Amino acid sequence: VVVQSTGSGNSILRGNPVLEHIRNVAKEWADIVPDFQVGRTTCALFLSLKYHRLHPEYVHQRIQKLGNMYNLRILLVHCDITEHQDTLRELTKMCLINNITIIVAWSAEECALYLSTYKVYEYKPPDAIRERVDKDHMSILRAALTSIRSVNKTDVTTLKTTFSSFAGVAKATQDQLVKCPGIGQTKARRIKDAFDRPFQNRP
Amino acid sequence: MSTTVSLLPYQTSLVQSIMDPSSSEMVLIARGLGLRTVLCTLLKIYNAPSNLVLLMNASQDEENGIGSLLGLMGVRNPGLRIVSYEMNRRERRELYKQGGIISVTSRILVGDMLLDDIPRELITGLLVLHAEKITPTSLEAFIVRLYREKNKAGFLKAFSDQPEQITHGLFPLRTIMKELQLRKTHIYPRFHEEVQESLERRKADVVELHQPMTELMHDIHESIILCMGATLSELKRSNTTLDLDDFSVENAYFRMFDAIVRKQLDPVWHKVGPKTKQLVGDLTTLRNLLAFLLSYDALALHTYLESIVHSNTVSSVTGEKRTNQSPWLFLEAADVMLKAARRRCYISTDAFRAGTVAPQTLGDDDDEWAALDEELGTVGDDTGKKKKWLPHGMEPVLEELPKWPLLVEVLQEIEQTMIDHPLPPQSTASDVVLVMTSSQRTCDQLREYLGTMNPSLPMGQQGRRMMERRLREYLHWKSRLNERNNPGGAKSKQGGGGGGAGAEKDGDVLSEAMKRKDAAKANRAANRRRVRGGAPAPSQRSAPGGREEGAMSQAGEMMDESDSVATFLSTQGAFQAEDLTLADDQALEELRRLVAATQGELPDVDEEEQFYGLVSPEQTIIIRAYSDDADDLLLAEIRPRFIVMFEPNQEFIRRVEVYRSLSPGLAVRVYFMLYEKSAEEVKYLTGLRKEKDAFERLIKERGSMLLPLGENDRPSRGDLMIKQLSTRMAGGGKVIETTPPQVIVDAREFGSSLPGLLHAAGVNIIPVTLTVGDYILSPDMCVERKSVPDLVASLNNGRLYTQCELMSAHYKQPILLIEFEEYKAFSLEIVSEVKSYAKGGKYPKKQQPKANDDSISITAIQSKLVLLTLSFPRLRIIWSSSPYESADSFKDLKANQPEPDPVKAITVGAEDGDVAGGATNTAAEDLLRAIPGITAKNVKHVMSKVRSVRELCELELSGVQDILGIEPGKLCWEFLHKGEKS
Repeated sequence: VVVQSTGSGNSILRGNPVLEHIRNVAKEWADIVPDFQVGRTTCALFLSLKYHRLHPEYVHQRIQKLGNMYNLRILLVHCDITEHQDTLRELTKMCLINNITIIVAWSAEECALYLSTYKVYEYKPPDAIRERVDKDHMSILRAALTSIRSVNKTDVTTLKTTFSSFAGVAKATQDQLVKCPGIGQTKARRIKDAFDRPFQNRP
Repeated sequence: MSTTVSLLPYQTSLVQSIMDPSSSEMVLIARGLGLRTVLCTLLKIYNAPSNLVLLMNASQDEENGIGSLLGLMGVRNPGLRIVSYEMNRRERRELYKQGGIISVTSRILVGDMLLDDIPRELITGLLVLHAEKITPTSLEAFIVRLYREKNKAGFLKAFSDQPEQITHGLFPLRTIMKELQLRKTHIYPRFHEEVQESLERRKADVVELHQPMTELMHDIHESIILCMGATLSELKRSNTTLDLDDFSVENAYFRMFDAIVRKQLDPVWHKVGPKTKQLVGDLTTLRNLLAFLLSYDALALHTYLESIVHSNTVSSVTGEKRTNQSPWLFLEAADVMLKAARRRCYISTDAFRAGTVAPQTLGDDDDEWAALDEELGTVGDDTGKKKKWLPHGMEPVLEELPKWPLLVEVLQEIEQTMIDHPLPPQSTASDVVLVMTSSQRTCDQLREYLGTMNPSLPMGQQGRRMMERRLREYLHWKSRLNERNNPGGAKSKQGGGGGGAGAEKDGDVLSEAMKRKDAAKANRAANRRRVRGGAPAPSQRSAPGGREEGAMSQAGEMMDESDSVATFLSTQGAFQAEDLTLADDQALEELRRLVAATQGELPDVDEEEQFYGLVSPEQTIIIRAYSDDADDLLLAEIRPRFIVMFEPNQEFIRRVEVYRSLSPGLAVRVYFMLYEKSAEEVKYLTGLRKEKDAFERLIKERGSMLLPLGENDRPSRGDLMIKQLSTRMAGGGKVIETTPPQVIVDAREFGSSLPGLLHAAGVNIIPVTLTVGDYILSPDMCVERKSVPDLVASLNNGRLYTQCELMSAHYKQPILLIEFEEYKAFSLEIVSEVKSYAKGGKYPKKQQPKANDDSISITAIQSKLVLLTLSFPRLRIIWSSSPYESADSFKDLKANQPEPDPVKAITVGAEDGDVAGGATNTAAEDLLRAIPGITAKNVKHVMSKVRSVRELCELELSGVQDILGIEPGKLCWEFLHKGEKS
C-alpha cells in the first residue's frame, strides 16, 4: 500500500506522471510529511532535477520538515536533464548530512518501479543478494573457473572432462592444460597463476 | 656464448637519435624490425649503478627476453632486475637504492611512488613499453604525472610496435603524447626510407607454397563463415541504433574485432540484453574455430566442437542463469560443420549406432560416402588387422591436415639440397632446418607427427599412428563426457526436491531436464521418427520444420553416441583398457626408435642443447613457435640456412629480412606455407594492409599535430579546501591549511582510474591494504566503489551484501559509489526492457514468486538495489557518471571533515595474521571465493592458512575441516574432489 501525501485533499504530486505508472500496489491518499510512504519505516521524497534547478530551495524545505522521521529515507531523483553532474553532487552532499539515501532514476516508469518495489519488498529477506550456496555442482564449478580471466564455459567443460575434478585441474601441469582444445598458452598460464601462485607474499 | 648483437644502419641511426638522456620521446616501429635490439642497446648505454632506469609495462616474457639479451650484450651483474609482487617493501626500497636497470609493473610502481619508497627525484629515466595502451585514465599516465611532479630533468622514452592499436579518441597519437608529456615522435614503418635501404640490398629467396584445404575442411570453413555472417546480421538486427559498418566478416577474423564490437556497444553495454552479449561471445568462438580448423588435428577439432555443443546443452540442465543457447548452433551450417568434423574423424556404420540412431545416409549422399570409404578403404587395415580397441562399427577416417605431408615433402627437398650443395666449411651458418609455427600446440603436434610417421604409407596417411592414438584418447574423453552428464541430471533432481526459497525455479529446471530426458528416451524408442524429426540427414535440408533443430539435435545424438562408447569401453574393463594403453605406448616408443634409426634426418629434436651433441647438426630440425622479439635472438643463435614458415606471420618475414641483412653471404631459403582460400590467407593479407594504413594515419597526424606549450605544468594547488577549523584557534578566523586533503585508498583499487584522477584533483593518496571498503574519506566515511558491471556481479553473487555488512559495522557512514564509465550512458537498464523480459516470457526461469504483477523481477538491478537499501538503511549511494565526477564528489564530501587515519583504517576489520601492505594475487583470491564453504568472512582466514588454491586442493578432508569447520569444510572438500574416482 503506497500512501500519498496530501495537504487537505490537495496533493503536491497532483498530475505527477510517476503516479500513473505505479501499478503493482494499491494507492492510498493520506496527510503525511514525505511524498510517499512505502513501508512502515520507509519514506521517499520525489525530486525532478528540472524542477530542482528552478526551485533549489524546495527540497531543503521538504527535508527540514521531514526532520528525523522514518528509518530509511529515500530521495528519489528523476534525472531528466543532461547537465546533471553539479546538481547531483550537491544533492549527494546534502543527503549525506541529512541521512538520506539517493536513488537516481531516468524515467517516470523507473521511479514508479522503485516505489512499488520498495513496497513489495518491505518484508522480504535479503536472500536474493546474499551469498548463496544452494546451487548444484556444475554451476558452482563453472562460476569458480570462469572467475579466471578469459576462461569460458566451453573451457570449463573441457577442463572438467579432462581432469575430472576441481582438484584435478589444480594438479594439472601447464603442458597438460595447453593440450586441451581451446586452451592456449596465455589461458593456461592464467589458470596456473590462479591455482599455484600464493595469495600474498609473506614478509 | 659470444653472440655479438649487431645493428643494421637504420637501427643504429634510431639509437643515435633517441640516445640523448636529456630528451624524451616516443618511438613507433613496425613489428619485426628489431625493437628489442634497439631497446637493449639503449639500456646498455644507460646501465650504471649511478643511474636508476625503470622499465615499465614489460610482460613476463618480455622481461625474461630483455634480461637474457642484455646478458648476451655483456650487461650482467646485476643486469636487468625484476621487481615481482612477491618482493616486499623493504626489499624493493633497497633495490631502488642500488640503482641500475629495474623492470617494475605499474601497479607496484605507483604505490612505491606514492609512499615515497622510490626516490622520485633521483630517477634517471623511465622506459615505457607498449605505449599504445596508454589512455588519460591509465595508471601509466598517473605514474608519469607523479614522476614529473618531482623530476623535470629525467628522461622518458616510450615504445610501441602496435600502431593499429593507437585509436583512442579523435587524435590518438596526441592523446598518448600528452599523457606521457612528450613532444617528439619517431615513426619507423617497414616502408621507411632508411629501413628500405637497409633491408632491400639483399633480395629474399622465398618459396611460397599454397596448399588447398581438403574438401571436408573447406565445408567446415564455409559453414563457419556462414555462421559468422548469420551471427553478425543477428547482432545488427538486435542493435539497430548502432553504427555497425565495421562489423564485417572480414574484420571478424581479427582479435581486434572484439575491441571494435565492444567499443561500439560500450555506451549501452549494461543495457544490451543477454542475447547480444551471447552473440558477441559467439563471434569470438567462431573466430577461434576458424583458426583451430587449420591448426588442430581433426580429432581435437571435433572434440572442441562437441565441448561447445555440450556446454550449450548442459547449461539449461544445471539452471544456469543464461539459458539461451548460441543461435548459430541452430543454423543448418552448424549442422554441416559438425557432421563434416565428424566425417574427418570416423564414420559410424549402422551397427555402431544400431541401438541409438537409425542409418541416415540417404540417396546420392550414400554413394559419395561410399566412394570416400573406398578411397580411404585401405586405411582401416594398414596394419593388416582391425584395431581391437575400436568400438564395433566405428570406421576411422582420421583425415590429416594437408600441411603435414607438405612439410614432409619440403623437408625431403631440403635434404636433397643439402646433399647437392653442402655448406662451405668456413661458413658460419648451420644446416639446421627451422620450422616456425604459430603456437606451442602446433609445435608439439608436428614433433609427434614427424616422430611417429610411417614414410612407407601413401601421402596423407603417414601420420596414421599418431592419429589413432589421438582417437583412443578421444574415445576415453567421450566416455567421460557421458559420465558427467548423468550425475548432473540426478543432482538437479535432488535440488528440486529439497529446494527452499527457489523451489519454483528448481522445479522449472527439473521439469525441463525431465522433458529432455523423456524426449531422449522417446527418441531412442522410436528412432525412426527421430531421424525424420530433426536428425541432420541431408534430406532434411529442404524440410521447413527440421531446420530449426539444426545442430542441437546433434547434441542428443552425440550423447547417445557417447553412451555407446562408454558401454563399449566398460565391457572391455578398465584394467584391460589400461593394459592396452600401456602396450600401445610401448609399441609407439618402439616405433619411434625405429623411425629415428631409419629416418635419421627426421628425429624430433627437443630444445635441450645437449641434444646437439648427440645428433650431428646437419640432421636437425628445430620446431619453434613464433615468440615475438625473442625470435631475433633465435635466428642469430641458430643461424639456419632453411626456414619453413608453417603458418604465415608477417613479423617473422621481417625478422628473416633483418637476419639476412645482418649476415651477409648467407643464402637463406624460406618456405612459406599458406592454406589457399582460407581464413589464414585473408588474415595475413588484411593484417599487412591494416598495419600500413595505421602507420600512414599516424604519420599524417604527426604532421599536423598541435601540442600546446605549458599544458603539462601541474596546476598550482590554489583551490585548496577549507578544512575543519579548530575552535581553539584564536579568533576563529578562517585559516586555509596548506597541506592537501588525504584519502586512504585500498591498494587493490589501483587497477581503476579513480586514484589517479583523485591525485590529479589535488588530493593526497595513501595506498594501504584495506579489509573494509575501498576508499576512506574521513574517520566516519567509508566508500565501496562499484562500476556498473561490478555492481551487477556483486549483487548477484552476494559479495556486495557482505561488504556493506562490514562497512556498516565499522563506519558511521557507509557509502556505495556507483560509478558509470565515461563515454558510456549514464543510466541503468531501461525499465521497458526489464518489463519485456518478464512479459515476453523469454526468460521464464528468472521470474520469482511475486506479489501480484509481472513487472517486478528479482533480476533487475533496481530491485536488488532496493533490497540492499532496505537491508542497510544507513547506506548512502553516490551516483557518479564518470571517474572524474567521483573524484569531484570525494573532494566535496571531504570538505570540513577531519582527515582519516591510515593506521586505524588498516586495522579496521582486519583479523590476526593478515598481512598489511602486501600485494595480493587477485585471480587466486577470486577463485578461492567461488569455492563453496568459503565466504567473504572466512576468506582471509583461509588465505592465511594455505598459500595457494592448489595447497587447499591437496589437503585431506580433515585438513579442510580444521580450517573451515566441520560442515563448510565437508562441503568445500566434496566440491573440490567431486568427480574423482576413488
